[in-house]
Amino acid sequence: MIKFQNISKIYHSSKTPVVALKDVSFEIKQGEFVSIVGKSGAGKTTLVKLLISEEKPSRGEIFFKGKKIGEMCPADIQYLRKRIGVVHQDYKLLTSKNVKENVEYIMQVIGASDKDISRDVPQVLEMVGLLDRQTNFPEELSGGEKQRLAIARALIHRPEVIVADEPTGNLDLYNTFEIINLLKKIHGLGTTIILATHNREIIERLGHRVITLEKGKIIRDDQEGKFIL
Amino acid sequence: MLTNLKRIFRFGWQGFTRNKGLGFQVIFIMTVAVFLITFLFLFQGLSDFLITQAQKKVDISVYFHRETPEEEILEVEKELYKFSGEVESVDYVSKEKAQELFIQKHQGEPLYLQALKEVGENPFLASLNIKAKNPTQYAQISEFLTHGPFKNLIQKVSYYENKKVIDRLFALTSNIKTGTIILSLILAGLVILITFNTIKLTILSSKEEISTMRLVGASSWFIRGPFLIQSIIYGVLAVFITNLIFGVSLNFLNPKLQIWLLDFNLLTFFQENFPFLLSVQFVFALGLGIASFFLAVRKYLEV
Repeated sequence: MIKFQNISKIYHSSKTPVVALKDVSFEIKQGEFVSIVGKSGAGKTTLVKLLISEEKPSRGEIFFKGKKIGEMCPADIQYLRKRIGVVHQDYKLLTSKNVKENVEYIMQVIGASDKDISRDVPQVLEMVGLLDRQTNFPEELSGGEKQRLAIARALIHRPEVIVADEPTGNLDLYNTFEIINLLKKIHGLGTTIILATHNREIIERLGHRVITLEKGKIIRDDQEGKFIL
Repeated sequence: MLTNLKRIFRFGWQGFTRNKGLGFQVIFIMTVAVFLITFLFLFQGLSDFLITQAQKKVDISVYFHRETPEEEILEVEKELYKFSGEVESVDYVSKEKAQELFIQKHQGEPLYLQALKEVGENPFLASLNIKAKNPTQYAQISEFLTHGPFKNLIQKVSYYENKKVIDRLFALTSNIKTGTIILSLILAGLVILITFNTIKLTILSSKEEISTMRLVGASSWFIRGPFLIQSIIYGVLAVFITNLIFGVSLNFLNPKLQIWLLDFNLLTFFQENFPFLLSVQFVFALGLGIASFFLAVRKYLEV
């Protein structure tokens, strides 16, 4: 479903170029649950950005369902982004919209009817525990609530793939495992999950495939991986 | 499609009601822009009025030899109307009428009337007073009279005596017109730049949000649309506020202004030209707003 082929990414914004990814290749099949682990700066977020075409690779090709992302036209990119639900590390919430509107917006983008929106949004908000906060704006939420809102937004339109970049970074242990259980449940329904994290406990409990990144290179790719860093 | 359009309108209205601080800035600057355009429009009207008034005061007179029969003078009058279509009016003043006008003008001035009596016969010449549509035409008309088929009937043409004044007036009106256009262009350019930069700064605060919308797969128009709706609301409000200010202040100040502006009725001019002015204001405000928002948002859509 997703294939990274000899991907390198070099950032040229600072005085000395920064190599974020170096010749990275892997494949993720439909319905897989893959964790990408690595220390801070290992290249996890860059991988996520490349997958949704927020960044372009310096070298190599990324395929989504056999189609080269690098050769996609703007309309195809737009379609690709609608098929991937992303929980960003920095949440990327719409600050001018309240909790409910943030989630609704995703449904509106995919062209869902008002009827579907009013049925699905309260369900998802209840699932992430934000139903009673639906009229609050992101600036009025705690870090954990923002994270849960970001998760609700990634789930609402039932995408084919969910990419979660450190989705539990601001959550306590109880909420962390609530979210992980939620991701497992969604995975059980056939959704492909890509989880970027550096949380040892999560990885050891999941027992799924783990890709380990270090300094932009894959150093290990195990089917029932462990946290080795 | 219709659902999307409805949502775009709703988001636009939401953006307008929720960003009151930023909205106030944009409305203020757009009101200043529309105000200036309205002022320039009225100024143009005033300068046209003053130019026309000055031009109306200029004419040339053709004096005919004493023995020229009236029929021939009237023939010249007819020919002048045919001449290039630049002649606005020609008034025939007979010898008798000229004397009558002199007496009327100097009623109560015995010295003048005594002098006229001493001369005995009517010393005045029959003449044609000619007004051209444009002061530049006086030279051509005079040339036609002094060198054309009627040259033997004519004793003198006053143009050559007043040439300096007419030329100066022409230069002055032409300079005023050019000056008004240049001033309008400079001010309009400045106001466009200021408005564009204010809107650009407003959009800057939504930069992150626009990128996020793009990352979740929203189309350019789904993102741009609400901003365009907001710009239309700002434009309409700016036009409304400007007309309210002009309407109210002209109602109060017009009698005083009329004295200052040599009888130019600014309020009547404003009312008579209101439909045209309103369309100019709308085209300017909406065009400027939509173009500025469109360009400012475009920059952040490239994600």
